[in-house]
Amino acid sequence: MPPIAIAKAGKGAVGVKVPQTMTERLLILLSRYREASIAVVAIVLVVYFQVGSDGGFLSPQFMSVVLRDTGRLGLIAAAEVMLMITGEIDLSLSAIFSIAPYVMALMSVTWAVPLAVGAVVGVLIGVLVGAINGIITVRFRVPSLITTVGMLFFLQGIVVSIYNSQPIVAPVEQPFNAIFGQSLYQPSDALLSWHGVTAFTPFLWAVLIVLALALALNRTTFGLHTIATGSNIIGAREIGVRTDRMKIYNFMIAGGCAAFAGIINTAQFTSADPQAGSPFLTLQAIAAAVIGGTSLLGGSGTVIGALIGAFVVASLNNGLVMIGAQATVSDVYLGAAIIAAMILSIQVDRLRTRRRL
Amino acid sequence: MNTQTIPPLAPDAPVVLEMSNISKSFGAVTALVDVSIKLRRGEVLALVGDNGAGKSTLIKILSGFHQPDTGTIVSQGKEVRFASPRDARAQGIETVYQDLALIGDLSVFHNMFLGREYHKRILGLNLLDNRKMREQAQLYLDTLGISIPSVNSTVDLLSGGQRQCIAVARSIYSSPRILVLDEPLAALGVRESAHVLGLIQNLRQQRQVSVILIVHNYNQIFEVCDRINFLHSGEVALDASTADTSEEELIRIVKSGLGRKAIDAAAAEVRPGIV
Repeated sequence: MPPIAIAKAGKGAVGVKVPQTMTERLLILLSRYREASIAVVAIVLVVYFQVGSDGGFLSPQFMSVVLRDTGRLGLIAAAEVMLMITGEIDLSLSAIFSIAPYVMALMSVTWAVPLAVGAVVGVLIGVLVGAINGIITVRFRVPSLITTVGMLFFLQGIVVSIYNSQPIVAPVEQPFNAIFGQSLYQPSDALLSWHGVTAFTPFLWAVLIVLALALALNRTTFGLHTIATGSNIIGAREIGVRTDRMKIYNFMIAGGCAAFAGIINTAQFTSADPQAGSPFLTLQAIAAAVIGGTSLLGGSGTVIGALIGAFVVASLNNGLVMIGAQATVSDVYLGAAIIAAMILSIQVDRLRTRRRL
Repeated sequence: MNTQTIPPLAPDAPVVLEMSNISKSFGAVTALVDVSIKLRRGEVLALVGDNGAGKSTLIKILSGFHQPDTGTIVSQGKEVRFASPRDARAQGIETVYQDLALIGDLSVFHNMFLGREYHKRILGLNLLDNRKMREQAQLYLDTLGISIPSVNSTVDLLSGGQRQCIAVARSIYSSPRILVLDEPLAALGVRESAHVLGLIQNLRQQRQVSVILIVHNYNQIFEVCDRINFLHSGEVALDASTADTSEEELIRIVKSGLGRKAIDAAAAEVRPGIV
C-alpha cells in the first residue's frame, strides 16, 4: 500500500520508561515472569523441608508422593487458570474428577470394557460437562460460580447414588496402569528402572498437558482470543472475537483435564471412589493457581505457575507432616499464602500501571 | 471557512453503502426509528446528534455488533446481513468504537492483528507468527507517523491519545472500503487531532475510502466532512452538505432540534431547500 505522507507525530509525552531503580526492575521482573516469585517460594520450601527432614524430602520415594499430588492438583489448577483468564471459574471440577473414573471402572466391571476405552469415555464426559457448564454460563447468563456449584452437587449426587457411595475396584490392566500411574516409588526401585519411571507418570502427564496448554495460551490464536475475552470482553466482541465460544471451549478443556486427573488418580489407587474429589480439591487447585500468579480478575494467567503452585501446595501438605508438624497446620500456611499472593499480584499490577513500566 | 480544504466530491461517485429504514429497540428503549443513510465513494459523512440520539447504535449495526430489528443494508450493490463484526470486516467495513476495543492485557502488535493474526506452521502446529506481526506493526505505525514507546508494551500502559492512535491505525491497516469512526478525536490533543484528521483526508483522497465520522466538535466537521447527518431521537432530522451549511447554522439547527418537524421548519427558515 502507498505510504501516507504526513508529518511525524510528536513523541508521546507519556511512555513506557526504561527501568531506573531496583524497585522498578523488581516490579518488571515480577509482572513479566509471574512464575518467578512462586518458583523462588518453591525452592525455599524444598530447601527448608530438605534440611528439616535430614535429606528425606528429596528422596525419590518421597518425591513420588509429592509429585503425584502435584500432578493431580496441577492438572486441575491449570484447568482453572484457563477459565480464570476468561474471567470464569469452575467449582464442579472435583465432581468431574470423581465421576469420570467411576464411569470408567463401572464400564469395565459391568461390561468388561477395556480401561483405555473407558478412560476415553470418561474424558469425553468431562468435556461434555464442561460444555454444559459453558453453555449455561454464556447463553443463560448465569454466573459460572453458581452454574458450577449447581453442577457440583448434581454430579456428586449422581455418582454417589450409583452404588450407594461404594468405591469400585478397578481391575488392573497393563500397560494402562503403568502408563497412567501405577504405584509409588519403592525403596528397592532404581531411579531409571521401568518401575522407577512409572512411579512418576502422573506427574509426567501433568507436565505434558500443562506444557501443551502453555503453548496454546501463548503461541496460538486460541490463546490470544482467550486472553482478549477475559481482559476486555466488550472490546473483544467488537473486534470480532467469538467470546462466547472461547469461554465454552475453555470450560470443555477444564472438564477434560479434571476427568483425566481423576482417571490417573484411579489408576494409581486401582479403585474408583465416588468421593475421590472433594470440593476441597477444587479449592486447593484454585489456591495453587492464585499463588502461581493468576489473578481472578481475568485477562492474564500462567499455567506453568499453576503447576509450580500445585507443587508448593503438595510440598506443604506432605512436607510439614514429614518434619513432624500436625497435618492440619499446612492449611494455615496455605491460607496465608493465598492471601499474600493475591496482595502481591494486585499491588504489582497497580504499581506497574502507575509507573508505566 | 475551512471548506476550501475539502476538494469537491466527484459528482458521479457511486453509492458504496446504503442503510435503509433501520429500526432498533432495546427492550422498551427505542434507539433508532426508520433511519436511512447513504454513503458515496470517497465521501466523509459526519453523524451528529446529542447523547442518546442513536449514533453509536447505528454504527454498531453497521459494524455487525448489533443486528437491526428492521431495515436493510446494501453494500456494493448487494444486500448484506451482518451476524457479527467478522462479517462486516469481511465486507471491508472497519470500525473504531468509542471504547476503542483494545485489549489492555495484550501487546500493541497483538492488538493490531487481533482477529487476523499471522500464522506459521511449526511441526504441523498452526502457531502465531509473532515476529512478523511485531515487524509489520512497527513498520505500519512508523509509516503513519504514530510514535509509541514500543509495539511490545501492553496497551494498558499507553496514554489515551496513544491508544486512540493505535485503534485508528488498526482500523485502516486492512485498507477498508468504509471506515467508521466513533469519536476518534475524543482523547486527542490539538496536534494529535490534526494528525488523525490528516490521516482521514489522505485515506479519502489517495484511496477513495468512504468515512463515517461521529464528532462533537463542529469545527472539525467542517474541516474534513462532505456531508452532515443530524440524528435526533433515533431519526435522521437533517441531511445537508457542508458546502451548503455553515457552522453557525448547524449549531442553530442542532440547538433548536426538538424533532423532525421542528428541524424541518428551522432548516427551511435558515436556508430553504437543504432538507
